Amino acid sequence: MKAGWLPRVTTLLVLVFFYLPILILVLGSFNTSRTIGVRGDFTLQWYVRLVRDRNVMEALSTSLQIGAVVTLLSTVLGTVAALALHRFRTRMQRIHYGLVYAPVVVPDVLMGISLLLFFASVGFRLGRASIVLAHVTFCLSYVALVVLARLQEFDETLMEAAYDLGATRTQAVVRVLLPLLGPGILAGALLAFTISLDDFVITFFVAGPGATTLPISVYSMIRYGRPPVIYALSTVLIALTFVSVWMVQRATQRRTPA
Amino acid sequence: MDGRRGGAGHGMRRREWTMSAPSLGWLVVFFAIPTTYILVLSFRPANPLGGVGEGWSLESWRRVFQPEYYAIYARTAWISGAATAICLLLGTPVAYTMARAPARTRAWLLTLVVVPFWTNFLVRIFAWKVLLHPDGLIRHLFGALRLIGPEVSLLNRPEAVLLVLVYTYLPFAILPIYAAADSFDFGLLEAARDLGASRFSAIVRVFLPGIRRGLGVAALLVLIPALGSYLIPDLVGGTRSVMVGNKITQRAFTDRNWPEAAALASLLTVAVFVPLLAVLRRPGSEAGR
Amino acid sequence: MKRYLGIALAALTAILGTTACGSRRPVLHVYTWADYFDMDVVRQFEREFGCRVRIDNFASNEELYAKLRAGATGYDVIFPTTYMVHLMRRENMLIPLDREQLPNLVHLDPKFRAISADPDNAYSVPYMFGTTGLGWRTDRVPEDFEASWTVFANPEFRGRMSMLADMREAMGAALKTLGYSLNSTDPGELAAAGELLKAWKPQLARYDSEGYRNSLASAELVVVQGYSGDIIMIREDDEVEEVRYAVPREGGSLWADEMAIPAGARQVELAHAFINFFHRPEIAAQNMEYNYYHCPNMAAYELLDDDFLSDPVIFFLLHGDPELLAKCEFIEDLGEANALYTRIWDEVRAAR
Repeated sequence: MKAGWLPRVTTLLVLVFFYLPILILVLGSFNTSRTIGVRGDFTLQWYVRLVRDRNVMEALSTSLQIGAVVTLLSTVLGTVAALALHRFRTRMQRIHYGLVYAPVVVPDVLMGISLLLFFASVGFRLGRASIVLAHVTFCLSYVALVVLARLQEFDETLMEAAYDLGATRTQAVVRVLLPLLGPGILAGALLAFTISLDDFVITFFVAGPGATTLPISVYSMIRYGRPPVIYALSTVLIALTFVSVWMVQRATQRRTPA
Repeated sequence: MDGRRGGAGHGMRRREWTMSAPSLGWLVVFFAIPTTYILVLSFRPANPLGGVGEGWSLESWRRVFQPEYYAIYARTAWISGAATAICLLLGTPVAYTMARAPARTRAWLLTLVVVPFWTNFLVRIFAWKVLLHPDGLIRHLFGALRLIGPEVSLLNRPEAVLLVLVYTYLPFAILPIYAAADSFDFGLLEAARDLGASRFSAIVRVFLPGIRRGLGVAALLVLIPALGSYLIPDLVGGTRSVMVGNKITQRAFTDRNWPEAAALASLLTVAVFVPLLAVLRRPGSEAGR
Repeated sequence: MKRYLGIALAALTAILGTTACGSRRPVLHVYTWADYFDMDVVRQFEREFGCRVRIDNFASNEELYAKLRAGATGYDVIFPTTYMVHLMRRENMLIPLDREQLPNLVHLDPKFRAISADPDNAYSVPYMFGTTGLGWRTDRVPEDFEASWTVFANPEFRGRMSMLADMREAMGAALKTLGYSLNSTDPGELAAAGELLKAWKPQLARYDSEGYRNSLASAELVVVQGYSGDIIMIREDDEVEEVRYAVPREGGSLWADEMAIPAGARQVELAHAFINFFHRPEIAAQNMEYNYYHCPNMAAYELLDDDFLSDPVIFFLLHGDPELLAKCEFIEDLGEANALYTRIWDEVRAAR
């Protein structure tokens, strides 16, 4: 029995629904007209304006710096967490798992307000550091879940084989486990990086001096800036998305036994 | 089952501690403590000059149960509930199609579904602001089809919030349903058809129960963030689209009333964790691995 | 427990801090409204003073206050509105200014000393004066349109109007319409203003303090409550000829955004230089031409075109209709009465 026409038509419509808004933005970014829907000529002027916009460029650099630190910290923490969760089946790991899982599902507003009030009451200065701490908290969960999923497909006999061949625990982990987990860790790291770069709500709550990240700048532009420049910025971000999705897919597909 | 390999219990315990401590410690400090701490804060009096007053008070809790709030709670519940229902309704056929497609098509579809999920959140909302604009594409289309009169605005209304919520969270719904559908044995559907079931009843009686875990997770992944949405009502909602998330932000950033923000946040936490535990507690669930 | 957490967190910041800063040049952190000054001015300041300026934006005075209270210390210059300056000063959140380092204050227009937050500039220096009134599109309203707050009761523009998402400004418009002071603390008057806002609400698309500018430019909205310079900017910079601004006949609010140095500032000297720089006549003139507000700097007036300087909207305090000006008021901080405003404003926003 093949899929009926109804699911297929729905799928098609959903894809149109997904991509129509994105398409509109991309088209608008190359159009001389300021308002979408009015036909104009092809132009790259909005991209030039975007590159010359100092606030956007600074925000981008802030986001990349924060993203790099967050990715590093959360990848290490998340991977170790996944290893612990996979290896041990104790009460503690059940709590551990609950805590790892919670930041993924809890609404951003809740995490934002609780971190803000927490930082305020322990007297922690708001700024880049507070953003990094907040981002690592939810990014480590994503890394842990991705790596954990990978670990569950992992063939334990490979480790056994390594031990049988005389490898120490460290050797077995470094030479066998990590290389095989590599793609999973890389996918987790990329996910962490993207999510850190994308986060607005939590960042907005805990931001301080010098911590205007790209999403905060985009938010301000959406409300205050010139629309075509935002279309151009959106197009750049969408293009980056395609590239990173492609990279993650390559990372996860490589070395996957067919 | 305890650890799989290696030394005696004591060594294992120590190893377990070293491996768990970094992430566990981090999450306790930056997640568990702050989340619990807001509950404590909600019992403090507000300080009209900002921050938190001295002593203890039930004022914030009294306030969040005042009738003014009921409309906001009701709105938050219906918008989130409707978004969840629509996402399941649209997500199931998509997941079904994906699961039944040939491998290559399936990989393509999967990528196409994932890309919007990776696209910047603000950009996605902004795109809808453009599309729903009074001079925008959809408005013109609807106008030309005589579906709506010239005075109707598509933006700044709860329905716009609902639409953008569905747009934002639909990929979150499709993926778990697809994962469940992928491991579903479609031979069962054939069998049901052979036994005389109509295509529709085969789907309803056999397929849907077979993927119910996927549906449960999908519902959670839409419902929970939707309950806490703040940005979408802020950007595309109007005077009648304020949700709990907006109220929390307003209390924290404009009204100098942290305890009330904390009380609202605690209330939202409860609203979020009740469905979460209900779904995850069931045997065979992920949390009960 | 809390203390240890604090110490641990501080250690972490130190580690993270080293990764965050690149160059050795001092960094001046400025916290201000979006798009409030010409970036060329900032570049010039950076060149002259060998520093970097980092700008973060806030959307309301309350957000600025909340962030500072929550621990966003490290800003060097902030731009609060008059009433917020009073509140911050009372709460010891501002550093006293050193007049020695602000020689350009001699250019300050004495006419406005008395009405600024701080006539002696002990804690703050006025940056820009502006008004809050109505902006509209001439192509979407009848020809005999007259600026009045009562337009919000007009069903003709239903769903195409917005009021500011600012408690004091929205309440102020209603209080003015009823003929009361916009700083009223009389519960009866405030309740009446609340009722009026509820009656206006069905006609509004939303309460919006920032997005209205784009929405008016693209005609998504046709009548908005907004800030004078923002609305003129649509006409002048986005070349949308159809946009007009006026203070409604019932009167509107007057305000001044001031420059001040918050407690915890790290570059106090540079912050003074920045404030002083903004009152250098050519810089003040350049900023006025950029944001269409009124910087009370007499030497800067001389550098402006006569056309520009005689604009009764931008220079409402100088050339506005005296009768209308008399009906306008500055928003003041109300202390305890704030809670009453918040309660009524909440009811309004919760109303159907």
